[in-house]
Amino acid sequence: MLMTAIDGKQAFEPVASPILRTRNLTVRFDEFPAVRDVNLDIADGELRVVIGANGAGKSTLLDLLCGKTLPSEGEIWLRDKNIAGIGEAAIARSGIGRKFQTPTVFKDMTVLENLQVASNRRVRVFENLFERIAGKANEREAAVAERTGLQDSLSRRASELSHGQLQWLELAMVLSQEPKIILLDEPAAGMTAAETDKTAGLLLDLAGDHTVLVIEHDMAFVRQICRTITVMHQGAVLAEGTAEEIEHNPAVIEAYLGSATLSHA
Amino acid sequence: MTYRSASLVAYVAFFALLMVLPFFLNSFWTNRMATYLVYSICALGIAMSWGYAGILSLGQGLFFGMGAYMLAMSLTLADPSNNPVPELMLLNMEPDAVRDLCCVTTGSFLWIPFRWVTVGLLAGIVVPCILAALIGYVMFKRRTTGVYVSIITLAFALIGQLLIINNQPLTGGFNGLASLAALEVAGFEFDPYGPSVYYLVTFTLLAVTLLARYLLSGRVGQVLKAIREDEARARYLGYDVENYKLFIFCVSAGVAGLAGMLFTVTSEFAAPSLMATSFSISMVIWAATGGRASLLGACIGALIVNFIGSLASESATFQPVWPIILGGLFVFVVLVMPNGIAGLFKDFFDRRSASANDGRAVPATAEGS
Repeated sequence: MLMTAIDGKQAFEPVASPILRTRNLTVRFDEFPAVRDVNLDIADGELRVVIGANGAGKSTLLDLLCGKTLPSEGEIWLRDKNIAGIGEAAIARSGIGRKFQTPTVFKDMTVLENLQVASNRRVRVFENLFERIAGKANEREAAVAERTGLQDSLSRRASELSHGQLQWLELAMVLSQEPKIILLDEPAAGMTAAETDKTAGLLLDLAGDHTVLVIEHDMAFVRQICRTITVMHQGAVLAEGTAEEIEHNPAVIEAYLGSATLSHA
Repeated sequence: MTYRSASLVAYVAFFALLMVLPFFLNSFWTNRMATYLVYSICALGIAMSWGYAGILSLGQGLFFGMGAYMLAMSLTLADPSNNPVPELMLLNMEPDAVRDLCCVTTGSFLWIPFRWVTVGLLAGIVVPCILAALIGYVMFKRRTTGVYVSIITLAFALIGQLLIINNQPLTGGFNGLASLAALEVAGFEFDPYGPSVYYLVTFTLLAVTLLARYLLSGRVGQVLKAIREDEARARYLGYDVENYKLFIFCVSAGVAGLAGMLFTVTSEFAAPSLMATSFSISMVIWAATGGRASLLGACIGALIVNFIGSLASESATFQPVWPIILGGLFVFVVLVMPNGIAGLFKDFFDRRSASANDGRAVPATAEGS
């Protein structure tokens, strides 16, 4: 995909089969635009990385996509459904899974229970009234646990896990949802080098079956997964392109490289 | 013995004990025990919403009181001295009013359906559920959580109490409803001082316990636990958190209403004091003492606290300071044993299995309860 410099409401380059599109997505907190006029087109099965300095609006963008924050203006289209404002649970059910920067799991429950809650696709109260809980993992839960290396920790309480394992658990829960789109906020944060490599491998593995949108600070990590990058600056999209294009983009250099934010890792 | 089997033993032992208890009690204590078991049912309702879903209602008395009033209205009309209209209405009617339920006092027509005891029995559960649904809908849709839920429910209970006190011609006001017939079902009359009412309450407690266990050990209980742990995460997994909360809040209110009806049967009155703040808070203390996250714990907590309370009320020294003791107990429980008696029980087994894992032999001292 060619790099397009986007400022404001300017035209975007259409993607072959976009699964997720945002149009003029804007949110203001006390008149301050945290995200402004963002037009994203994410192709089905794409692995997209969003980078930018602290406060560039990356996390807020994910908050908007998963319904945590309501947009002040603009639309979010998941295929042909406008999901802006339908609520977090409904967004999750239509196929968007979110992993937070700080792992949010059910700490007082076992790893297996966490996965069971996540993988249960019948979510309404009355559908679940007579539903019993299995004492061990079903095929799908076992597969997810295997993929994230948690197969031996199923009966452990989440509160006993290490930070890295918590990250894996949350990722495993998001995978259990079988979402079409996975939103990941700094998945490698707090992980060891080996775990980071494993995460990068997993992300590449996930792309294709899922559409993945990753926020990342760590340029080394970004180069490792090396896909289309969207650069955010002061709430807006500054540039889009491959890692190489981005690193040679004058606007990006002016905005970031001077402050060494892009290359800190 | 594992914690799981030990708690099963505890449940069985508890109910077996309740079954034989009346053989050793005189009629006064049979009645007292029946009333305490009613409180156990109430504490169970609190354990369901507070212990499992983290919803601390301080207005449980509203639902309990509504349940009590619904049945009390039917039992009032069933008493011959209240024919054709309850005495309380005669005292409050206009001199030239027609002596009929339709119009003896303003709103007295609302009593008409309660001529059928079945209506009273149904309304005792349905009305608290509907009230809880309305209150819960407003609270949970607005995503009210934590202490604000407690404050709002407390406020609603106060409003309920005031409405009852201030509408004397309709509700009996401050005095409540006290000239009641005994409950009669299919020709069988329940005697509040005999074993019949005691067993009615005990079997209801058993049924509610089994239903609650079934519900909470299944998927709904698991999701509620998840919501208690992290509401936002549950949402991002696709669960409509407010519907789950609304559901368990209504179930808990229905259980409180059921307990309220049984209270009317054991105590032969319904009064606005049932909706008083202090009573609602007492219920929370019962559940907290026994262990809010344990159904059996909450039941036992209600029994213990009320039993001690009744001993205290017989002593001239302790009777005036009982509320202070009760308050102190709550502070003690919250600070020292946040999971109550049931928590101590569980800790004992957790420690045992932990030390067993260390490879050290532990003498088997497993006891039933």
